[in-house]
Amino acid sequence: MGILRLSHAELRVPDLELSTAYYTEVVGLIETAREDDRVFLKGWDEQQHHCVILRYAPTYGLETLGFKVQDAADLDELAGRVEAAGIPVKRFGAGELGPGSGETVRFTAGSGHVIDLVHAMEQVGNALPLHNPPPEPQGMVGMHPHRIDHIFLMCEDVDGITAFFVDVLGFRLTEQILADDGHQLVTFLERTHTAHDIAFVTGPNGAFHHVAFWVDDWNDLRRSADICAYHGVRIDAGPTRHGATRGWGLYFFDPAGNRNEVYTGGYWADPDREPITWTEAEMGRAVFYYEGVVDQSFLTVHS
Amino acid sequence: MGILRLSHVDITVPDLDLASAYYTGVMGLEITEQTADRTFFKCWDEEDHHSLAVRYDPRVGIDRFAFKVERADDLAEIERRVERYGFRVQRMSHGEEVGQGESIRFETPSGHEMELVHDVERVGSRIGKLNPNIVPAGLQGIAPPRMDHLLINAEEVGEATRFYMDVLGFRLTEQLLGGDGHQIGVWMERSHSPHDLAVVNGPNGALHHFAFWLDDWDHVRQAADILAYNAIQVDVGPTRHGVTRGNTIYFFDPMGTRNEVFTGGYRPDPDFPTITWTEDNIGRAVFYYEGEVNERFVTVHT
Repeated sequence: MGILRLSHAELRVPDLELSTAYYTEVVGLIETAREDDRVFLKGWDEQQHHCVILRYAPTYGLETLGFKVQDAADLDELAGRVEAAGIPVKRFGAGELGPGSGETVRFTAGSGHVIDLVHAMEQVGNALPLHNPPPEPQGMVGMHPHRIDHIFLMCEDVDGITAFFVDVLGFRLTEQILADDGHQLVTFLERTHTAHDIAFVTGPNGAFHHVAFWVDDWNDLRRSADICAYHGVRIDAGPTRHGATRGWGLYFFDPAGNRNEVYTGGYWADPDREPITWTEAEMGRAVFYYEGVVDQSFLTVHS
Repeated sequence: MGILRLSHVDITVPDLDLASAYYTGVMGLEITEQTADRTFFKCWDEEDHHSLAVRYDPRVGIDRFAFKVERADDLAEIERRVERYGFRVQRMSHGEEVGQGESIRFETPSGHEMELVHDVERVGSRIGKLNPNIVPAGLQGIAPPRMDHLLINAEEVGEATRFYMDVLGFRLTEQLLGGDGHQIGVWMERSHSPHDLAVVNGPNGALHHFAFWLDDWDHVRQAADILAYNAIQVDVGPTRHGVTRGNTIYFFDPMGTRNEVFTGGYRPDPDFPTITWTEDNIGRAVFYYEGEVNERFVTVHT
């Protein structure tokens, strides 16, 4: 019941061909569909039609993000709750928002981000059979992450958006970084029993910090860093470890300037897990556990 | 709502001191409580009172396994469903069991005593909830962060599976089918992991193994080093499973109960489509690298 997980992110890119080449050959996602101004991509282990949509636009940034809900009735239930919170919703039928798209409820959250709640996106299957499957396919290119993992967004009022995600959308808070005056600087929220499916950090409304893809382990982060270096992709931070989530991460930029991460590790968060709190003085260790400091570009550069 | 995860496994051992030495010194668990004939252990990242309880008995075996439910009223709900299925439910009240409050116990179609508990004494992890380090300092032995799953035997795997799914709400991630289409093995989850509970054909009431979670393949290698150093009998591995895609080592505690350390796998949400293995692929399903299952792995249980 309710939201299952992050479904997809639609990113704006000014050069569709260049960005498609990057996301398929460097990151190693698989192209599943194409329109005049959009390309649809998925991770090899994902069953559904897409987890990333690239949209041609004269700028960069996040167009929409989508969460998958478990049952069709969840759309009505959540639409009612979002409307009761004073936010208008729009509804779209299956296929109306493009190839593979399922029935969708769309609204703009208080953080300025357009959010889709999706039921029954077309299932295309992963790259393995459902009978006697090997653990992974052969001949994959680039970093070939299994799947999309989480998204990190910016907004002015982190306390407000966090309360909305918890009270209205049913997310659970796993960690928070508190400013000295007690307000939330960063919050980590989950639905999938992982350390986070979405996180918010203080910054301009509507801004996009990064989208993260899941890889198996620390050795895959090293390999991903090799691939970045080989292709001349600019690494922003890492390979390193996060204090918050305990995950390992490597940050880098797509050709349009949208930040990507490959991520692994972390803990399992059942609903009975109490949130972890970081104080502002320990923010460096919370974000980059090995370095202990957050560089300015990581905090300020967004798209 | 409903079952969250494996809470604890209660086994019997003929030597309490040896069990304590092994589970703390080699496995790296912490002792949280001791009574005259029982010792309670937890992993370093677990916040509940215990995930393993050992009781003195001349025979090696399993007393019961327990799962944790999310809400107090889940106990009454599941009690009704188990009784409607035809099994008697025993209510344990506060103070009757170490480290936990009210619980329910019942026998399952696979001949195991199962317990469901909500109110567990929270002892906290060693790193806390304020600006925590990632791991505590001074861990010894393998030091898994937590218990992960258990595998039990059943004569009628299909019947047991229907009970765990229909009555207790487990979801089937993978199954191994015999040539005539019946289930030889099943892997089921509640915690969005490849398995919390698995059932494989064998004698009713038997335990095949319980497993601890490790960080990654490198942690598995380090565990193999520690097992070899301590002359622990390794059963299989380090290797990989076709089923669950996990990386693993199987070995026996000094009294004969099979342990596993496990990592990897995938993260199934409730919309995960069930994977099916056929009997002719049983070798790859269980041990993906070797492609065959050894006789000891199939026949030894406690």
